[in-house]
Amino acid sequence: MVLADLGKRINSALSEFTRAPVIDQKVLDQLLREICAALLEADVNVRLVQQLRGNIKSIVNFDELAAGINKKRVIQKAVMDELIKLVDPGVEPYKPKKGKSNVIMFVGLQGSGKTTTCTKLAYHYQRKGWKTALVCADTFRAGAFDQLKQNAAKAKIPYYGSYSETDPVAIAIEGVEKFKKEHFDIIIVDTSGRHKQETELFEEMEQIQAGVQPDNVIFVMDATIGQAAEAQAKAFKESADIGSIIITKMDGHAKGGGAISAVAATDSPIIFVGTGEHIHDLDRFEPGPFIRKMLGMGDMSGLMET
Amino acid sequence: MFSFLRGITGQRELTPELLDPALAKMKEHLINKNVAADIAEQLCASAKSNLTGKSIRGFKSASSAVRDGMEIALRRILTPRTSTDLLRDISQARLQKRPYTISFIGVNGVGKSTNLSKVCFWLLQNNLKILIAACDTFRSGAVEQLRTHVRSLRAVTSQGHGEVDLFERGYGKDSAGIAKDAISYAKANRYDVVLIDTAGRMQDNEPLMRALAKLVAVNNPDKIIFVGEALVGNEAVDQLTKFNQALRDFSGMSQPRQIDGMILTKFDTIDDKVGAALSMTYTTGKPIYFVGTGQTYTDLKNLRVEHVVKSLLRL
Ligand SMILES: Nc1nc2c(ncn2[C@@H]2O[C@H](COP(=O)(O)OP(=O)(O)OP(=O)(O)O)[C@@H](O)[C@H]2O)c(=O)[nH]1
Ligand SMILES: Nc1nc2c(ncn2[C@@H]2O[C@H](COP(=O)(O)OP(=O)(O)OP(=O)(O)O)[C@@H](O)[C@H]2O)c(=O)[nH]1
Ligand SMILES: [Mg+2]
Ligand SMILES: [Mg+2]
Repeated sequence: MVLADLGKRINSALSEFTRAPVIDQKVLDQLLREICAALLEADVNVRLVQQLRGNIKSIVNFDELAAGINKKRVIQKAVMDELIKLVDPGVEPYKPKKGKSNVIMFVGLQGSGKTTTCTKLAYHYQRKGWKTALVCADTFRAGAFDQLKQNAAKAKIPYYGSYSETDPVAIAIEGVEKFKKEHFDIIIVDTSGRHKQETELFEEMEQIQAGVQPDNVIFVMDATIGQAAEAQAKAFKESADIGSIIITKMDGHAKGGGAISAVAATDSPIIFVGTGEHIHDLDRFEPGPFIRKMLGMGDMSGLMET
Repeated sequence: MFSFLRGITGQRELTPELLDPALAKMKEHLINKNVAADIAEQLCASAKSNLTGKSIRGFKSASSAVRDGMEIALRRILTPRTSTDLLRDISQARLQKRPYTISFIGVNGVGKSTNLSKVCFWLLQNNLKILIAACDTFRSGAVEQLRTHVRSLRAVTSQGHGEVDLFERGYGKDSAGIAKDAISYAKANRYDVVLIDTAGRMQDNEPLMRALAKLVAVNNPDKIIFVGEALVGNEAVDQLTKFNQALRDFSGMSQPRQIDGMILTKFDTIDDKVGAALSMTYTTGKPIYFVGTGQTYTDLKNLRVEHVVKSLLRL
């Protein structure tokens, strides 16, 4: 699934590279060209790609590499490390705690999949035995409450929302209070879609956050997003205490490279990926293992011995 | 005159060696503006073959020659080749005493339903009678979303300035059939336009793509409008090619329909990374009918080609 094609391409560039009789600057440049082209086609942020290229080049300085060092190995390791860095901020994701009400707030661009993913996540925890509820703090989008209500009803998850109240901050606070009183373990707050160019929408997000004091803010990004991802992710991070990322719509053809630039922009780990419109379509994501698997680590370690 | 400058300012021939670095920069620049990588590559390749062997004068550098060449190419790709005058088409249908039908298609969450409502607002301002067909019978809240829009659209439409109604059959039903019923109802009740909302779908989801092809085959809408977001990166190309391919392969028509044009949404979220406009027009050769620039009814604009060209080339 995710990024698999990208993995294949990088892998074949790497094995091409290991077959080269002499490892010199030219061979390295060719390898980097291939890898960077693959990353750009997967929508990885141009600046991040340039950085990755620069980092590998500075690690693999041919004049400074001591004689006798296995250059192939150094280069392969540098590539692997840089790729892992793309998806692994080295931060432990938030884990809900037993015996208290964990409040999780969803934020993101319009149409990225927040409402759908809220219910998926609630369902995920519910199946694991947590007492879970949903709060609809989107008073803006037409039909938003109906959407959440219908999803929640299908999954038999308690929900809170209003057709008449127009202030999302008020609803969010009321809903969270109510479910806290009822001792719910996990309370998930859905919010409207917004973007950095609309200051008022960002202020509203800050107010909701201040009102419900979430334990974790999840930033939802769509896998098809291109080069605008970084600027948006950065702006969200500046306004909200983003702790985790969920990438949606990974069931399509998109490789999600745009969305993974949110990792660097927010310093937050990807915790799940959405893989469809149905409630079960949510997969756990773990950065390190994921990249190693994507690059067929088994094969790699074999190659590294040579 | 100034002959002493001749060495620097005289004519020089553009060679691949001079062009390559400039083209590599241009390619990365376009990708950074969110043009699909493949398309940036192709544009630079064709710039190379156009420019190689040409001579440049004076202080002009290879990179400014590349820039000038690119500007012309971009403008040509973005400028519509066919008429985008929907109102004229609608009045022609009116003369034939039939409703004009427009279907909105695309992947999930791009803004189909919202921009359909904006188009409706614009048509209302032109005193037309509109029926919205709720053919997304899958996504939770899809029908209520349109019902809410119809209510708001009525509220902002003054008496005698057009009418709008919703045609819906709830959830879980066959969308091709609902569209068909809506069109018959519109014909019987003298609506001018039918706007068909469809469910979002991934271009690789074959059952859903087949269902869309069926909706198109059964109803043969006057316009098939692909709604795509300006946020989309390299996927733009794959989405458009596969939607067209599905319409071709699954329709069972001898002369299958194709996408007639696009609406480019969320243009307000991308600053000057306007590359999706180029990727979409380059891939289809079809015009962008409207650009969505926000979440209210008036946030529907015409694409300004010059604005896009400038943004694409701006450093
Ligand atoms: N194929 C697919 N579709 C998804 C996925 N996640 C969400 N969607 C669809 O994407 C569309 C938008 O999802 P929503 O949950 O409404 O997005 P949102 O972020 O809440 O949207 P706003 O509230 O308007 O900002 C819907 O059609 C969803 O069914 C996914 O992982 N895969
Ligand atoms: N900023 C901005 N948001 C937009 C624009 N157009 C639509 N949206 C928002 O994008 C979100 C999704 O819009 P919808 O119209 O529900 O998208 P859709 O394609 O019908 O979604 P599905 O039917 O679920 O596939 C909503 O929050 C809209 O308000 C636009 O031009 N700019
Ligand atoms: Mg929502
Ligand atoms: Mg819709």
